Amino acid sequence: MKRFDIVTLESPNRAPLRIEGFLFGSENTQGPSVAIVGAMSGDHINQLYVASQFVEYLRTKEEEGIIIGRILVIPAVNAYALNMGEKNWPLDKTDLNMMFPGYAQGETTQRIASRLFDTLKGYDYGIILEGRRDQGMCLPYVKLVQSGYEDLECVKDLGLGFIHYRPHDPVETAMLQYNWQLWETKAFSIVFGKNGAIDQSVSNEVHTAIVRFLSKREMLNIPVFEGRKSNIVDPNRITLVKASRAGILISKVTCGTHVQKGEVLGKIIDALSGERLEKIISPCEGIVTCQYSHPLIFQNSIVFRIASVELCCHLETKKK
Amino acid sequence: MGNIEEVLTIELPVGENFRIQRCRYAPTQGQSTKRISVVSGIHGDELEGQYVCFLLGQWLREHPDTIKGTIDIYPAINSLGIDSITRSVPFYDVDLNRTFPGSKNDFLPAQIAHGVVNLMRGSDFAIDIHSSNVFLREIPQVRIAKSQEDVLVPLANLLNIDFVWVHDAVTVLESTFAHAMNTIGTKTLVVEMGVGMRLGKAYGHQLLDGLLNLMAHEGILDIEPLKVRFPIQSHVGEVAYLNASCPGLFVPVIDHCQVIEKGSVVGHIVSALSGEVLDEVIAPIAGILFTIRAYPIVYEGSLLGRIFGEKQ
Ligand SMILES: [Zn+2]
Repeated sequence: MKRFDIVTLESPNRAPLRIEGFLFGSENTQGPSVAIVGAMSGDHINQLYVASQFVEYLRTKEEEGIIIGRILVIPAVNAYALNMGEKNWPLDKTDLNMMFPGYAQGETTQRIASRLFDTLKGYDYGIILEGRRDQGMCLPYVKLVQSGYEDLECVKDLGLGFIHYRPHDPVETAMLQYNWQLWETKAFSIVFGKNGAIDQSVSNEVHTAIVRFLSKREMLNIPVFEGRKSNIVDPNRITLVKASRAGILISKVTCGTHVQKGEVLGKIIDALSGERLEKIISPCEGIVTCQYSHPLIFQNSIVFRIASVELCCHLETKKK
Repeated sequence: MGNIEEVLTIELPVGENFRIQRCRYAPTQGQSTKRISVVSGIHGDELEGQYVCFLLGQWLREHPDTIKGTIDIYPAINSLGIDSITRSVPFYDVDLNRTFPGSKNDFLPAQIAHGVVNLMRGSDFAIDIHSSNVFLREIPQVRIAKSQEDVLVPLANLLNIDFVWVHDAVTVLESTFAHAMNTIGTKTLVVEMGVGMRLGKAYGHQLLDGLLNLMAHEGILDIEPLKVRFPIQSHVGEVAYLNASCPGLFVPVIDHCQVIEKGSVVGHIVSALSGEVLDEVIAPIAGILFTIRAYPIVYEGSLLGRIFGEKQ
């Protein structure tokens, strides 16, 4: 293992920012290469944890001689934000994952992104551990945006339950995944967890999925269990259950629960009077893939996302 | 006197509604000719637009008979942010101007964006007033994406601003209010002026004259067009960026945006700890310093200023 600084940046007063990398495998290996990027945001604690646990795992495996590819792990990109409970770059509040491909002569965070991206270019595979961009928590899923260079086949080797495969949003053109793909790295994101918290079972699932991927893609010489056959979902196949009222949310289910049509999923109560404002009923049978995770909820917020392929197809035909 | 309405409400968790308020002025008699929306506060730490809204409202109250069109004033789109010095949408910490056109089925910022687009849909014009941020001070300028140049530059030239900056389209900017509105046929200009969290009274009056002039030209106000300044056009020159070479405290030599010579000193980056001057910031070209840093703490790369110089 080689531990090294990928980026260092001096600060006016605090200790310099260091983006550290952990590199495994021999320099002159014939095997493929992968870079794994952890917390880009200061609230992506679960991502930080999975990445650092993976460093620990690889360190023990390195002695066994099973690493046949080149593996770079970057647990934390935005340590400055992590160390002060901020989400974004602490001075100008820019999101580092909105700065790619970066610009070496530009603003501070563009420079950081540019230097980081210089290191990330040329890897065969790119795994981005992503937190959510909202107040939700979710089952681990793969987010693969269509850039024209994405590789849907390889992400199936993770064996995760769901692959969200969809056209990219305009804002995603400034994100790492999209730009990494343009540079011909097979890049994808694994989105999971709840921002600011660590979930052990979710962490284990993601860890196992990465090990499986590295094994199947011949970077780790290790036998693995087969994963799940991934369902490819686009946003149209997810049923959204929204809060008709704001208040305190009490959820009765967890992510991954298989729910029936008509089942009570939770309730919203008036934050002041305590009266029940809404009983949240599942409109379909399916699996809860994602739920709102903050106890205070806003009107029209999405409380649950339910993956239910048949039902959604049925609804689509009914609409027509 | 305008008609004040709560035009968008979204219930908040604890005994309150998020709201956007609008003040609408319409002709005292006859049909409205055209409709314009004057918008500020998409970023909650930008207050110059609030003052422009006040000045415009004050003028319209004094001249009700000149109103031939519909004039909608929205001083505070991100009303939670404006009232709490918060740039983004609180709770979600999301830049509202990166969530357009938004969606009814998405989180709060996207719902606000969606609501805003629907409110202004059908306006002939929209003027979206920003004041940079707390870091930078800007002279009154309009920024236009290259693809909109033909339609928007003639309109921007009416606004009594100092600079029209036509920039290459960046895909990220497709998620802005201006892009969403221009896409649905509302000619939308983005004004940047002043600095975040502060008011510059002169700029407010300057833009008021521009708004009145634009509305006179478009038949929304029945007044003579005003004599306004003609803005510098970015296509005749180039923009030079001054980025900090090292971290420290930026102490400007020049306090206001102004014309400067090549080689002149814009400011210094100094060390508060050692007492050293770490770098002298020099103008690489002659021209107008249209952006200058207002917030002194800098990292490597922090923008210190922008100079527009005419091609030789
Ligand atoms: Zn702004």
